[in-house]
Amino acid sequence: MNLPDAAALLQALVNGLLIGALLALAALGLSLVVGVVRIVNLMHGELVVFGAYAAWLLVQFTGLHPLLLAPAAALAVALLGLPIERYLLQPVARHGDEGPLLTTFALSIIAQNLLVYFLSGDTRAIGSTLAAGRIAVGTITVPKHYLAGFAIALAVCAGVHWLIVHTAFGRRIRASAENPADAAVVGVPVRLTYALTFALAAGVAGLGGALLGMVFAFTPGSGVEFLLTGFTVVVLGGLGSVKGTLAGGLALGVLESFGAVVFGDGYRLLVGLVAFLVFLTLRPQGLFGRAA
Amino acid sequence: MSARTRELGCGIAGLLLLAALPYLFDVYWQQLGFRALQLLTLALAWNLLAGYCGQVSLGTGAFVGLGAYALALSANRWSLPPALLLPLAGAVAAAGAALLSPGVFRTRGLYFTVGTLALAEAIRLLMVNLPTFGGTRGVVLQSAALPFYLMYWLALLVAAVAALVCWLLLRSPASLALRAVRDDELVAAEMGVRVFRVKTACFMLSAFLAGVAGGLQAIKLGVIEPYGAFGLSWTIDTVAVVVIGGLGSGLGPLFGTLVYVALAELLRGQPELHGAFTGLCLLLVVRLAPRGLASLLRGRRRG
Repeated sequence: MNLPDAAALLQALVNGLLIGALLALAALGLSLVVGVVRIVNLMHGELVVFGAYAAWLLVQFTGLHPLLLAPAAALAVALLGLPIERYLLQPVARHGDEGPLLTTFALSIIAQNLLVYFLSGDTRAIGSTLAAGRIAVGTITVPKHYLAGFAIALAVCAGVHWLIVHTAFGRRIRASAENPADAAVVGVPVRLTYALTFALAAGVAGLGGALLGMVFAFTPGSGVEFLLTGFTVVVLGGLGSVKGTLAGGLALGVLESFGAVVFGDGYRLLVGLVAFLVFLTLRPQGLFGRAA
Repeated sequence: MSARTRELGCGIAGLLLLAALPYLFDVYWQQLGFRALQLLTLALAWNLLAGYCGQVSLGTGAFVGLGAYALALSANRWSLPPALLLPLAGAVAAAGAALLSPGVFRTRGLYFTVGTLALAEAIRLLMVNLPTFGGTRGVVLQSAALPFYLMYWLALLVAAVAALVCWLLLRSPASLALRAVRDDELVAAEMGVRVFRVKTACFMLSAFLAGVAGGLQAIKLGVIEPYGAFGLSWTIDTVAVVVIGGLGSGLGPLFGTLVYVALAELLRGQPELHGAFTGLCLLLVVRLAPRGLASLLRGRRRG
């Protein structure tokens, strides 16, 4: 452990913020599903990994720039999420929390194994040639695609925020989250809303995965990392608001980035996990509870 | 004949039959038997915690790893026969559980589940990065490997003890406290059950058994490294086995283990397909028979 100099810390801060926006994006779906559909989605990490693999496959086939293909990857994951919620999660949701929890656990096992079966367990990275373009300001250098990913992540977070707060669909989402029975009475199609919310969450997770896949290497087993990262973001930022998730993501990004500089790159995830456990222990009630 | 005597009789008969396996079958079947008995031990341990005490933990891998490392490090240090150190492996895992209890039991329900998963991953990452215990290279067991039939008998002994402990516990008044905590913590506390103490005791017992199963793994492999010893697959396999067999049912772990091992045999050489089919089984059981295969059997006998 060496004492890092100021320039390294500044660079870590910038990198952390840029990556943190992507972490927020990847976690946004988890927050939505826990908050609205009230399912702790243990396959969330696999949805992120699906996004990364979809983008990787599309880049392999078309040779286009990954940033152009990220929306297609997101759409693919969203389309996968819709039937999963409607036909696999809704039927078991009536009998308490355990059914959906174990179903998402089973789906995550299936997804991981199928990815290894069809695409092998090798470590992948999207477009390693991307690292070529860099922008330098003073002592800080930033790869261009980090900046682009950051901008996209912020834009999508803002878009989801607008969708939830200002549109008719968003009103249905909020009503279904608040009180599904009352919402149904006043004519909100709660089940459809749940399915669409899950699809939206999956799509955003897929987009997050596609963007994160340009920054970090991934394997079929990366899902659990993304799942835990997602929970950490949700815990840090508080559940139920896009702004909170974004703040949580940025905080975690900076924390991990500093952790990697101070302790070494192997400790990046560990720092986040420790923050998660500390938060979980110190604020057990505030975790997934919404403000009264 | 009371149900109790009959169950005990069935257990002893089964034990004797299983003990004869090395005389009847070759090493291949002994290895399969070892894997099944090790899984059964883990399943019994997890069923106690999740099925009877209601604490759905995803931290099994952490305790398997602690047990494996405790056994390998202590056997090397004191040059003792590893098999004698299995209780120590369990004790270290149980001590780990006791140490973690105040933290993890501040959270309840789903938060506990995610917390234990994070904890297991954190411990694994720590073991990967810390050079103190060999880092990624792990630890090599210095004593000579046991012949496989002894390994099998050792696993059988461990599984039998685990089954006996569970059987005795679930027939004792203490099991009422476990179930009370599972069904409603607040009411249990009102009735005078010391919820935290019950949870901690159950967590420790479960961790002890998982630690012993991890110790078995260390003896079998002769070398352990953090990715395998603390791997998520321990947790995945254990949860799948118990839920398929029947969460909170006495025979659940046994049925689940049989299905799991049979599936593994059918899809031998294709671990990914085995994993995918295990997940599919889990999905179907949760959907169609939420109380596991054991409940189907019982339903038929009664109906």
